[in-house]
Amino acid sequence: MSQLILRRVGMMILIMLVVALLLFLMNEGDPRLIARSVLGPYAQDQQLDAWIAQHGYDRPIMVRYFDWIGRVLSGDLGDSIIYKRPVNEIFWDRLGNTGILAGVTFVVMVVVALTLGVLAGMKEGSAQDRVISVFSITTTSIPEYASAVLLAWIFVFGLGWLPGTSAMTGGFNVVELILPVMVLTLYGFGYVARMTRASMAEVMTNHYIRTAMLKGLPYRHIIMKHALRNALIAPFTVIMLQINWLLSGVVVTEFAFGYKGFGALLLEAALRRDIFVIEACGLAAVFVAVFTQTIGDLGYTYLNPRIRFK
Amino acid sequence: MSDKKILSRDKRRYLLPSERALGAETHSYLPELCDQLRVRKITRRDFLRQAALLGMTVGAAYATADKLIGGAFTPTVAAATPKPGGTLRVSMRIQEVTDPAIFDWTEKSNVARFLVEHLTRTKADNTTVPYLAKSWEASDDLKSWVFHLRDDVTWSNGDKFTAADVAHTVNRWLDPKTGSSNLGLFAAMVETVKGADGKPLKRGIANAVEVIDDHTIKFNLRQAALAMPENFYNYPAAIVHRGFGKDYEADLSKNPIGTGPMKLEAFAVGERAILKKARDWWAGPFHLDEIHYFDHGEDTNAWIAALASQQVDMVFRLPNNAIETVKRLPFVELHEATTAQTAVMRFRVTEKPFDNVKLRQAIAACMDHKELLDKAFKGLGQIAENHHVCPIHPDYAALPPLKRDVEKAKKLLAEAGYKDGITVEIANGDTEGPWMTDVCAIFKNQLAPAGINLKINKMPANQYWEVWDKAPWGYTAWTHRPLGTMVLGLGYRSGVPWNETAYNNPEFDAALDDAEATLDVNERKKKMAVCEKILQDDAIIPQPFWRSVFKAANKRVKGHQTHPTLYHQFHNVWLEG
Repeated sequence: MSQLILRRVGMMILIMLVVALLLFLMNEGDPRLIARSVLGPYAQDQQLDAWIAQHGYDRPIMVRYFDWIGRVLSGDLGDSIIYKRPVNEIFWDRLGNTGILAGVTFVVMVVVALTLGVLAGMKEGSAQDRVISVFSITTTSIPEYASAVLLAWIFVFGLGWLPGTSAMTGGFNVVELILPVMVLTLYGFGYVARMTRASMAEVMTNHYIRTAMLKGLPYRHIIMKHALRNALIAPFTVIMLQINWLLSGVVVTEFAFGYKGFGALLLEAALRRDIFVIEACGLAAVFVAVFTQTIGDLGYTYLNPRIRFK
Repeated sequence: MSDKKILSRDKRRYLLPSERALGAETHSYLPELCDQLRVRKITRRDFLRQAALLGMTVGAAYATADKLIGGAFTPTVAAATPKPGGTLRVSMRIQEVTDPAIFDWTEKSNVARFLVEHLTRTKADNTTVPYLAKSWEASDDLKSWVFHLRDDVTWSNGDKFTAADVAHTVNRWLDPKTGSSNLGLFAAMVETVKGADGKPLKRGIANAVEVIDDHTIKFNLRQAALAMPENFYNYPAAIVHRGFGKDYEADLSKNPIGTGPMKLEAFAVGERAILKKARDWWAGPFHLDEIHYFDHGEDTNAWIAALASQQVDMVFRLPNNAIETVKRLPFVELHEATTAQTAVMRFRVTEKPFDNVKLRQAIAACMDHKELLDKAFKGLGQIAENHHVCPIHPDYAALPPLKRDVEKAKKLLAEAGYKDGITVEIANGDTEGPWMTDVCAIFKNQLAPAGINLKINKMPANQYWEVWDKAPWGYTAWTHRPLGTMVLGLGYRSGVPWNETAYNNPEFDAALDDAEATLDVNERKKKMAVCEKILQDDAIIPQPFWRSVFKAANKRVKGHQTHPTLYHQFHNVWLEG
């Protein structure tokens, strides 16, 4: 097992380095472009040249790449062009905000998805199954930008129950989280619920479940003790993938509700070519993707002995 | 009775002792101006504006106008008593606020306007009144202007406000290293010389700014200019402290030293700007305790949602597709301002294929302005005439109306060398809203019958602002300015920083100089007609329409008027409940 972990972690580091290189080449390949972004459209050629020399952008690209990696590892992410502040000052706050949104959404979504998935999978083909399936397929098919408008129309403009934006202007306010969490949960839970349902339905056809039923065990006991644990192996990887989606996929939701998170930061940076913010966000997104994938694989191996001992 | 008789009699009559006391003798042209109003050669509005520009106090100008033609146009005091206190919350993009001289977004100036102030103030009704300058006089030839500054103003750091501050600020604008757009606006103080690299360089003329004493400053111009007071209220023209960019870094968000009533309590680009009332204000009571600007991102739906759930009291601007939604909110008031805000499909006349005037004319000939206004903007505005001077500008001259003419376009296209048609591309960033794409799409259909295929290069707004003065053809939004000469001077004079068309026409420059130097309102209109015609004939800016702008505010916000440029002037604003 420890050899497997080492192998996976090594793989993770390699992937990170390759992706970082691509990110670096795309953003910092052309020093003139960087100088132009930093100094603005009115800067003269002489000013650009001076900036390039002063900031070491006249060195070979691979030297600059490893220099950049070194700086990132030591915690220096550079200065934001549009915010006129070190990226570190903005980045971690925004990442933290998205962490809060993603964390709350994750908990709500997993609870809703597993509950509905299990309820649907317990009796495949029943009315209960049909209703849950249709509902989850419907909500998953509505993109976030549409459900954001729809929910705002109902809860903000119609009923007036909820605040329309989530910029947390007066400090953290849990009520402002409701709409974005609702939008993300509606979009995201269907996939996990469907996986859980399929897995549950499969488990329910197994002989040991039939045996347990015939033995006269209480139904609740059978579901909780025998079916559930086995049914959760397959959805586990899917759930881990949701973490990754929650970090990089929340862009639309954050945009719609003015939430000051990582997604909104990345979008703004991309639109205005804020190179060092794009790089920081890119690295963070890739790290989370690779990390959750690794954890997912390891967890799956642990849960499923057939893979573990192969 | 002949006009002549009236004129001679009124010349004697208009200078009553009371008016003399009010300063009606400020400029030698004022008697003439009064005569013109008396015989209705100019409108009351023209008179008020012109008299104020020439240094007459507002009270005197209104009183004189009443005296001459009757009527009760003297401003009345608002009926309700303002209630001090409270926090006004506004949804607006928060951009960096470093150097006011290089501001390029109204939003930046809105945060700065409560910190640093201007010599003059153009009110929501488009008239310009004294502000940090308590009065001014112009020489008869309009080539030298003396501004008398208030002596009761102090900076937030305790320093006295003096002419040294104004001189420092204006000299910074005139220094090409600053990169201020004011270099174009104050062209009468600017000369073109050969730079070190052999290219022409614009810079301030020697002795343009002359400090007479602590509270008097004189501007010496190389040519006559009438709009000096109005130019001083242009949004990059805020007066900064004499140490700004000299003794300390030119960054207002770090060094918010100002003459305004507020201090910058907290500031984060993309998030918030918190302004707090910090001191007694020279201009009288400022009712609000705090102004909070919040950034809700690019999504206009979020702005409206914030207003609907009362997270903010006001939105900076209302996209016109949200008007119907806002009308249904019972506690929200919709504000409309008729403006000279517009967007021009400007060609870069140095770039192929748009260096071909026949091609430009062919494209312009295809435009049906009314259809564009009605379909893309719900008719909420006025049609434009491809010369960037608006009917609400006092110096506007009406030219024969433009008519769409496809046959003429085809002929011009053939003469331009494209008898089999041509494909052209326009860059558009929807910088003022998605209606801009609609305009392009409808114009594409209008161009098609002439054999012109329009490709729309849609890009994010911020990316557009990187290419607005570079793209061969682009759709650029321009904000409202109170005078036609101001816009033309900023955008179309040869070599000025905001000349996005690269238009370089000495004949036009001379005509504009001439118009700017003409005092007589009707004469000036005639001279503006020449400028307008040159721009129209050279077809450098097919310009679909002038648009009304909308803003929405909670009904508890009182005493608020929407400025045509969306500048925030909250002097009389107070909150109820």
